[in-house]
Amino acid sequence: MELTVDRRWDLVDRIAKETVEVGVYRPSLKDALADVTVRPATGIPVAIAVIYGFWMFFCEFAGTLFTDGFFVKIFDGHWLPWLQEVFPFGLGNWFYELMVDAGHMENGVLVASDNCFEAFGVLTSGLFIAIGVVLPAIIAFYLILGLLEDMGYLPRLAVLVDTVLHKIGLHGYAIVPTFLSLGCNVPGVSATRSLETRKQRFMMITLLGVFIPCGAQIGMMQDLIPAQIGWVFLTLLVGYLGVGWILNKVWPGGESPEILMDVPPYQMPTWGNIGRKLWIRVSGFFKVAVPFVLLGCVIVGILYLTGAMDHIANALEPLLTNVFGVPSDTVAPLVAGFLRKDLAVGMLEPIEMTTFQLFTSVVLLCIYFPCLATFALMIKELNWKEILGCLATLVVVVFIFGGILHGIGTIGGWY
Amino acid sequence: MDNATKFGSIYFAVLGIAALAFGIAEFVVMGMYGTEGTAWGPLDISGLFLPWRAIILIGAGLMYLSSVTNFADIRQLAKAVAASIMVWIVAGMSFWGMIAGSIPGGEDGPWFSSPADFAAAYSYPYMPAIFLLPFSLVIIYFILRRRRVTVGRE
Repeated sequence: MELTVDRRWDLVDRIAKETVEVGVYRPSLKDALADVTVRPATGIPVAIAVIYGFWMFFCEFAGTLFTDGFFVKIFDGHWLPWLQEVFPFGLGNWFYELMVDAGHMENGVLVASDNCFEAFGVLTSGLFIAIGVVLPAIIAFYLILGLLEDMGYLPRLAVLVDTVLHKIGLHGYAIVPTFLSLGCNVPGVSATRSLETRKQRFMMITLLGVFIPCGAQIGMMQDLIPAQIGWVFLTLLVGYLGVGWILNKVWPGGESPEILMDVPPYQMPTWGNIGRKLWIRVSGFFKVAVPFVLLGCVIVGILYLTGAMDHIANALEPLLTNVFGVPSDTVAPLVAGFLRKDLAVGMLEPIEMTTFQLFTSVVLLCIYFPCLATFALMIKELNWKEILGCLATLVVVVFIFGGILHGIGTIGGWY
Repeated sequence: MDNATKFGSIYFAVLGIAALAFGIAEFVVMGMYGTEGTAWGPLDISGLFLPWRAIILIGAGLMYLSSVTNFADIRQLAKAVAASIMVWIVAGMSFWGMIAGSIPGGEDGPWFSSPADFAAAYSYPYMPAIFLLPFSLVIIYFILRRRRVTVGRE
């Protein structure tokens, strides 16, 4: 049977009358609150408050309560002295130096270290960084991240930053890989699969690898330079947006497509879900991180013992001191940074330098190369042309940032 | 406009002015003393994150103030709720800092603080947001009242 146009519309009307309920939309408080958190005028202050809360919880939990409150005492006051007493061979033996304490020279005499940052053995610095600093930092970070995810705040943050991220060729949802990378770059790089185009994925992976420090590294930075960490983040944010904008202009692949995003309603998080997610993320992170931290200690220790580190430091000294304005001793953290950035930041602590040099070194460590685990995943996710593009970006960024910071330090007289 | 709504408008206007004044005071203190700040009686305006706290309190104050016209409207109430959440975050993190600092016994001390040191960690001076906290809790009454009205309507 064939229907005329009029009869078809009559049929549509009849079905609509029977199935569609017409009424006045009354938003609930949850709906209205959701609206408040995505409108820039009200959403930006709320976002600042949320990020402030995130950061304060992170610092107090990881720094004040666990690392400074208990772990420093456990490792420096008990673990290190106990190992120095019971471990065979003693100071001056290569195996002891590798595993427990490399010691340091005082008036021409080799003396034992009195803290785990300086000892630089696998069982002292390695375990202290992995358990004493990184573990509380990672727990704090993933706990709050899980809470924000389950409440439904992250998609709203994505809507809020959509306009800004569109200017650099990404869309608001790119905030999710960015946030994940603040915990660990590996899941962050994996999360870029949700982005639409090849160009967006390349840009996002490059920006994550260069400008986003992981939670472990942030924990170490907070421990090492608490007063300057805001400036480190500001420098990285400028780089993230600036380099993103340039990559969007120069890398072929067209414009960023518009997407329609479903924003779920706010909901009460369930502690069971948050606990499960926290466990999966923390245990996954540790399976990747701890072996690399310990391996990093071994490699750096061997390089020191064989004298290879001195040769590398001598070779790179003109570059480090003349271009970046940092001491040649920072070459050891740069080598360790290939394996673990948190370990590398920890290695800066015993090196004698000014606050500004320390700040520059931390920024350079953040941007000079992604850690090995992230780089392995980047090779898997990108093609060779994109890898080369990423590495070229990295080299250019390191020289530009290092040079600019050196210039600022010289003008400011901070050396 | 019923009496509760009228009360809400006036109450949150006053709270908004107070939050705004505290935020501006934090900026003024920062301008004078830097993040070292100063303590004035029971009030402590100091700390590394002083500028951020000032921005948040100013934001909360402005949101309270913009919520008071037509306070009966759910969208306006939501602004006051969001402003209160911002105050709760700042005050809550200040409390959390006190808790985290009060448990360990210090670098050369015992593992845990003595009861006296533990209690001393909670004594004044306090940050401005902590003084705003009890007053911001009044928003819970308006949330519950709204819920009662919505349930009654259904």
